[in-house]
Amino acid sequence: MMANVFFYILAAFILYSALFVVSAHNLFRSAIGLIAVLLGVAGMYLLMDAQFLSAVQIMVYVGGIVVLIVFVVLLVADVTEKTFQKADRWRKLSAGFVLAVFFGITVWALDSHSFTSASQNAQAASVKDYGRALLSTEKEGFILPFEVISLVLVAALIGAITIAGQTQAPVNGQKELP
Amino acid sequence: MIGPTLSQYLVFSALLFCFGLYGMLTRRNLIAMLMSVELILNAAALNFVAFHHFLYEGDVGGAVFPVFIIAVAAAESAIALAIIIALFRHKNQLDVQDADSLKN
Repeated sequence: MMANVFFYILAAFILYSALFVVSAHNLFRSAIGLIAVLLGVAGMYLLMDAQFLSAVQIMVYVGGIVVLIVFVVLLVADVTEKTFQKADRWRKLSAGFVLAVFFGITVWALDSHSFTSASQNAQAASVKDYGRALLSTEKEGFILPFEVISLVLVAALIGAITIAGQTQAPVNGQKELP
Repeated sequence: MIGPTLSQYLVFSALLFCFGLYGMLTRRNLIAMLMSVELILNAAALNFVAFHHFLYEGDVGGAVFPVFIIAVAAAESAIALAIIIALFRHKNQLDVQDADSLKN
């Protein structure tokens, strides 16, 4: 019963913040709403016994990605969307209509399908299980995605530095002094 | 067992996904669209964890995959923010409708 109450409170909190993210005219407020959404989702992970994921969500998302977004929002001069042309009412209405239909179809599909459990040994995954799964080379292991994701991260960070860190273009092919 | 069921979580994450998609469709600022993508990724990760918790508790795969989703989201937002900064240097604004230098 208690978990149900927590679930509905969290769901209302997350959806309200998500509405804020997609509709606030001030980008900084959108970023604050995004923090609220991510914290709420971390709370949902806690409700589902995924403590490690909850901690990762807070550390990487709220502590890393959102801070990055806030930095860029503040670097890019005008925070308010006044200078941008806003989406017209027609576009908003049609997007809302399409998504309502999509949501209806999704709920119908979920409702008409009965999920059956495959495993019976109910035990939440511990940090040890995560470590074993990430580094195991056996059939259930995730060593290959783990290595690939590390390469992807390195490539993305080097690419980000290359794209954003470029200084003034050299004049007439002259090399810039360091 | 009393408490939220699997379908409650699934409907909730579908709703969160729809909110993110609505943001993608209606916002015209690149940073706002990036934030909407984060909403969509969170809805997907929530689905993974819900299926793991309710159906495949002994199988750790559903709990490990959101870690990869978070890592991909980090890489994606790093690249996207770098592109945003470069675009702002170049054009001095971030409206997606005007970022069409590669056209024609």
